[in-house]
Order: sequence, then C-alpha cells, then structure tokens
Amino acid sequence: MRILAIETSCDETAVAVAHDIDDVIQIETSLVRSQIDIHTVYGGVVPEVGARQHLEMIMPMIARAVRPDGAGIDAIAVTAGPGLAPALRVGVEVAKTLAWTWGKPLVPVCHLEGHIYANWIGDEKTLGTVTIPAFPILALIVSGGHTELVLMRDHGQFERLGETLDDAAGEAFDKVARMLGLPYPGGPAIDALALKGNPHAFAFPRPMLNRDDAMFSFSGLKTAVLYELRKDDTRLTDEGFRADIAASFQEAIVETLVEKTMRTAGKCAPKSIVLAGGVAANALLRNRLTVAAEHRGIPMFLPPFRYSLDNAAMIAAAGYYRAQHGDFTDPLTLVAHPNQDI
Amino acid sequence: MRISHSLEESHAIAAVLAKQLVGGERIILIGDLGAGKTTFTQGLVAALGSTARVKSPTFTVMNEYPVTGHPTIHRVVHCDMYRFTAPEELRALELEEYQSPDTVLIIEWPDALPTVDWHPTHIVRIGHIDEHSRSIVIEEVGE
Repeated sequence: MRILAIETSCDETAVAVAHDIDDVIQIETSLVRSQIDIHTVYGGVVPEVGARQHLEMIMPMIARAVRPDGAGIDAIAVTAGPGLAPALRVGVEVAKTLAWTWGKPLVPVCHLEGHIYANWIGDEKTLGTVTIPAFPILALIVSGGHTELVLMRDHGQFERLGETLDDAAGEAFDKVARMLGLPYPGGPAIDALALKGNPHAFAFPRPMLNRDDAMFSFSGLKTAVLYELRKDDTRLTDEGFRADIAASFQEAIVETLVEKTMRTAGKCAPKSIVLAGGVAANALLRNRLTVAAEHRGIPMFLPPFRYSLDNAAMIAAAGYYRAQHGDFTDPLTLVAHPNQDI
Repeated sequence: MRISHSLEESHAIAAVLAKQLVGGERIILIGDLGAGKTTFTQGLVAALGSTARVKSPTFTVMNEYPVTGHPTIHRVVHCDMYRFTAPEELRALELEEYQSPDTVLIIEWPDALPTVDWHPTHIVRIGHIDEHSRSIVIEEVGE
C-alpha cells in the first residue's frame, strides 16, 4: 500500500509518500518546509505566517511528491488534530479535495499518534534489520507542546496515563535556553552547551517525582533556573557557568522523564518502550532511557532523528496502520479537531 | 494590588476576576518568564466551572477549553504570543473568529507584539517579588 500523507498542525508544512515492506514503513519522499529550499519549490517569496504559509506551500510540495492524477497512491492520510485550527484546516481541506477528486480513501490521523508511529519507520541504513515494537507499548511523547505517557495496547488503541500539568518538556528547554541567551530552538543549544558543563553543579528540582502517578510539571523547574540566574546575573557572561546551568537543568529534566517512564513501565509491564516527539533528539534522554530500559529488560525504540520533529512521514506510518484496519472517513465530512485527544 | 504567596492564592485571586466575567472579555496577561501567567489562567478556568486541562500554549499557540455549567460563558480560548515576531502573523490566527459573547479570550505575552492594540477588557499584571511571592494587579479597561 502506498500512502500520501499531509501534516499542517502547527508550524510545519509537510508532505510524504510511503509504502510498507512487511509492515515496516519505507519512506519514498518526506518534504518538510523548514528543511527545504523554498525557492526551488515555490519559485517566489513565501509569507512568514502560519496558516498563510501552509496555504502557499502545500500544493507545490504535493506536486513534488506525487503525479497530478494521483496514480500509484492507494490512500491519503492527514493530521486532523490536535493543533492550531486555521493551520490544521489547510491540510484537512487539501486532503479531502484530493481524496474526493482522485477517488482515494481518506484516513484522518491524530498528530500525537503520528509521533509514536515514527518508530515504525525503517531507517535506510538498517533496512532489512528493522524490528517493530511489540504490544503493549509504553510511549513517552516529548515535544514543545506535549509531554505525555501513553499506553498503546494495539494499533489504534491508546490510553493516556499521564501528561504535563503546565509546560511541556520542550518548552522548558526552550525557555531556559532563552534565559541563557541561546538561540531558538533551545533544545539542541542546551544539549550542546551541557556537554561542557557539570550536571551536578546546581541541585534543580525533579518535579513530581514525589507523586506516584504519571503526571509531569516543568513550570517550577523553569522558575527554579530563573531564580538561580537572578541571584547574580553577572555570572551569565561566564561560559563555564552557563554550561553548568545547562547541564544541571538538562540532568533534572532528563532524570525526571526517565524515572517517571520507568516507574510507569513497572506498573503496566509493556513489551516495548518507545520515545517520540522533537525532544527525542536530545542525546542524554536517548542514552538514559536506553540504559534504563535495558536494565529492566524491555526493548527500547528510538525514532530516526529526522522523523522526531514534526513531519508527514510519521503521519504516513500511522495512516498505513489505520488504513490496514479500514479506518477511512468520508472526504466530504471530515473536519479538523483542534482539541483532539489521543 | 494583591500579593500571592502560593499557587492556591494565585488561583483564588484569579477566581475573583472569574466571578466578574460574563463572556466576550479579552484579557491580556503581562508578566516575565515564570511569573505565573499559566497558573493564573488555570485558576480562572477552574473558577468558571471547567475541568479542562489548562496547559501552557507557548508551542501550541492557542488552546481551547470548553466550559459547561456557566450561564453565559461556554469556552475559554488561551493564546500565547511568545513565539510571534511580526504583527502579520496574527492574521493567521483568525482571532476575530473567537470573539463571541460566550467566549473569554486570554492572551499571554501580548508584549511580544508591542505595536498591536489588543483592545483588552482586562489587563492582568503579574510580577516576581521573590521565589514564592507574586504581585497581581487586575485592571479593568473602560470602553
């Protein structure tokens, strides 16, 4: 089965074409607006505005990925939610139009589900040796907008076990990066600076570890870093001090994420643990989770780097499994769901 | 000006504002990183009788919370301008679509777009006093 997937839930315009080989998803094309030379696709200046940007970019990107008559495509998958309403609508309306005119089945996909399915994508380098996660799966989704622990009993069966009560982990990374004068996006910048620092220089709080549930909270950790900096802001010119703050902050957030994930794994006995979302690119988080999962004897799955941030390849993967189960929607009636839950 | 010494006190101060709302309000929240803008919004939404899970909209840009059981308010729309860099980007949000008599609009980081006139009905200013204390000033803006 060959799938065309469209993702416009927030900042990124993304289009992908994928097919499966024995249930492992092979990506033929994955276009993400921020990663391509816009001029070669669009041939002009693109407005720097969310939904407008999706509108201007989506058709030229689709034209690069598929033939004008949709030949060779078996189904169309699109992110229906959650996300920013005017942005989501662009992708949903384009997908509906294509599905209706081409006469192809339409599969709505939840954005968070998509992040999890990045773990079913075969990496070119490991082609043939890729294994896919076994159910039940415990998924840790960490991004700028989300921090969730989700139990997935089978394809299409999701149960949210916990989430953040305030800021997402990626947001905490970004805001601490701004306090330290690092560029946006803050995650990679903290990751790099932390390598030069002492992770035990400052004892920042490990939020919610005293609670015996799967909930997170990162607002207080962010504020704790702020107050440490405010004690004496002349230290901010010292590269070693900034590296120590970055390392200590990263240590606190990664330890919290790993500890909560492993405690939850202890309760729900998953056969695999998967990491998903943009913060999955963080090297310390990848290493610590892998070690902790190995210690418990649970196979750990990390998504390929390029499919951690928002992209359409992951929507194609999620769409493939929904399509396998005949989970189609009438193209005339599908609407975007900005508040969609997993 | 009210002084809050805890999350609970901040929620209680937000609840005082919530009691005055009837729908159609546009509230802007001004305060530094970590001042407690999302905490204030959590208190306000809960006081309106909603059980919605209020989270920071910094990356999601706009969160919508349904309100049931309030006579005139049916939803709260919680926006965050933190990541915005130009006023033109606002058009893409179609905020006017959310300006209805049954909706309370809350806007965090309005100061990220200093040239925009937000036409607020209420301005809430939250300031850091020390690690656990905040000053909260609620100003009602006349017509």
